[in-house]
Amino acid sequence: MSSAASAPVLDSSTPLLELRQVSVSFDGFWALNDLNLSLAPGDLRAVIGPNGAGKTTFLDVITGKVRPTKGDVFFRGRSLVGLPEHRIARLGIGRKFQTPRVYQNLTPRRNLELAVSRRASPFDLLFGRLDATARDRVQELLEVVGLHPYAHQKAGGLSHGQKQWLEIAMLVAQDPQVLLVDEPVAGLTDEETELTAALLRQLAGAHTVLVIEHDMEFIRDLQAPVTVLHEGHVLCEGSMDEVQSDPRVIEVYLGSETEAA
Amino acid sequence: MASPSTSALSSAGGGSPTGFLRRWLPWILLIAAALILPSVLPPFRLNLLGRFLSLGIVALGIDLIWGFTGMLSLGQGIFFALGGYALGMHLQLTSLQPGQLPEFFGLYGVKELPAFWQPFNSAVFTFFCLWILPALVAGVLGFLVFRNRIKGVYFSILTQAALLVFFNFFNGQQKLINGTNGLKTDTARIFGALVGSDAMQRNLFWVTLLLVVLSWLLCRWLTRGRFGDALIAIRDDEPRLRFTGYNPTAYKTLVFAIAGAMAGVSGALYTVQSGIISPQYMAVPFSIEMVIWVAVGGRGTLIGAILGAVVINYAKSLISEQLPETWLFIQGGLFLLVVTALPDGLVGWWTQGGPARILAMVGIAPLAPTYPEIDFDPAVQAEAETVQSDASPGGSV
Repeated sequence: MSSAASAPVLDSSTPLLELRQVSVSFDGFWALNDLNLSLAPGDLRAVIGPNGAGKTTFLDVITGKVRPTKGDVFFRGRSLVGLPEHRIARLGIGRKFQTPRVYQNLTPRRNLELAVSRRASPFDLLFGRLDATARDRVQELLEVVGLHPYAHQKAGGLSHGQKQWLEIAMLVAQDPQVLLVDEPVAGLTDEETELTAALLRQLAGAHTVLVIEHDMEFIRDLQAPVTVLHEGHVLCEGSMDEVQSDPRVIEVYLGSETEAA
Repeated sequence: MASPSTSALSSAGGGSPTGFLRRWLPWILLIAAALILPSVLPPFRLNLLGRFLSLGIVALGIDLIWGFTGMLSLGQGIFFALGGYALGMHLQLTSLQPGQLPEFFGLYGVKELPAFWQPFNSAVFTFFCLWILPALVAGVLGFLVFRNRIKGVYFSILTQAALLVFFNFFNGQQKLINGTNGLKTDTARIFGALVGSDAMQRNLFWVTLLLVVLSWLLCRWLTRGRFGDALIAIRDDEPRLRFTGYNPTAYKTLVFAIAGAMAGVSGALYTVQSGIISPQYMAVPFSIEMVIWVAVGGRGTLIGAILGAVVINYAKSLISEQLPETWLFIQGGLFLLVVTALPDGLVGWWTQGGPARILAMVGIAPLAPTYPEIDFDPAVQAEAETVQSDASPGGSV
């Protein structure tokens, strides 16, 4: 919160998040290979790539789950390498997972209340109360994702799409500067997909959003610059149209962009 | 009210007389039991009940770490016995003349009281030691394990291994704590009264009852709010919580230490009511039994842990009196029943409409709410409203 206030939010000259020559080796297999990528404050960026291109590993490196074998990750000029996951999260980097991961035995409201807490130590949770703004925020988010009728039943009983949205709402509740969103529309209906794209477009600007997705229609809907990953490094960057007409990308996707969509 | 899932009973306690009764009846019954039981039950039975109630406290701790946080510890006997030993050592010293040593030291040629015994001369030190020491041991052990992200079955094996280490160590230390024989507390005196006397045992029953209630209130306070949510979140998806900015190690260490402290209190109460503390309290089967009490009573229900400990142990003692050989089979059968048919234990089965299902099986159908009633149900009304106003969920952020 305090860190967010001190940062120049829309100064696009300095990157907010930067990966410099990051490589990750799993027992000799290079999941990421000399990857360079930078995000300016307020960016909305889509990342695509065939299976095994290293998309999820790339998020793992940023969020501290995987330590890069080589290279460095900077967030607002500070290296993230070696920091534990919860510290990176507190710096202002939030993540949504590929399969929806919510706390099954808590209600959607309580899922969100955990995410919205600014202070996360055991003593804060025991002795501190959630302030009115945070409670209002939770209520607002429940309504935005249409889960308020289900606010008091266990999240484990929600449908797949509802869980996806609950997790996105949790990510928003966390109020990070950078949102890393891994396959947000997998298993959603067309209508839900459109709404998700609209939601993410709204978030960009005030936040920096990076979306990984297979759904090409959805990516097109985002109207964002696209980065194509292949075999652990950046194959090309550009608008959706540029990328789709790039012969290298077509080759990587076996020349069938319709199939990939 | 705080949690809709846990407060179903208490939120019914509104202004109506039935609500009032529902809310306060358990407490009224409890106080009545505390007053009546000592004069109704023979001293032997009362003492047994006190012992089993004290086991309810260690079971509550297990519910906290296993039922809520998802960490299955098979080593709670360590902390249980540490609490017992702390009080046992104090009681060995209180009844001595100046310059005298506890009797067993003479057998091993020990002429001087070992240094670590000295502070146990003080009742105040002992009072704090019997729960702070187990909490510290649990905290340190827990921190090392959790920091290295050891969990699941590896955590269970590790706690059992630690238990064996303590068991063997205490067994071998004749010169320090009388080894296998343990320390007797029956013949010691507190406030001038013999610990083993009927009057003192009755007082201990009340103390135990009070501490069980206080432990239950503590656990309820811990699990009701967002702290409890965080524990459940750790059980459901620990990495997710980490990426939300929480450090699960802090939570797990704290809650493991609290469970350790509760085990210590439980062990001390159990020791003075059974008259002896020995390394047998750190035997592997006993710690596994503790887990069974919680599983049978109902994980994550708190009250189930206490009921499980009391009911199973009372059943054990009653059945063993009649048919000594059958108890282990019954206990095993109970555990199997719970694992296969009642995953939430007896209390979970009760609260999830189990009795009504049984009645339905024999042809007595439960009274289902019918139409006019359903329409007036506030939950249904709320749902109906939201369905109407729910055409466009994608509002502004």
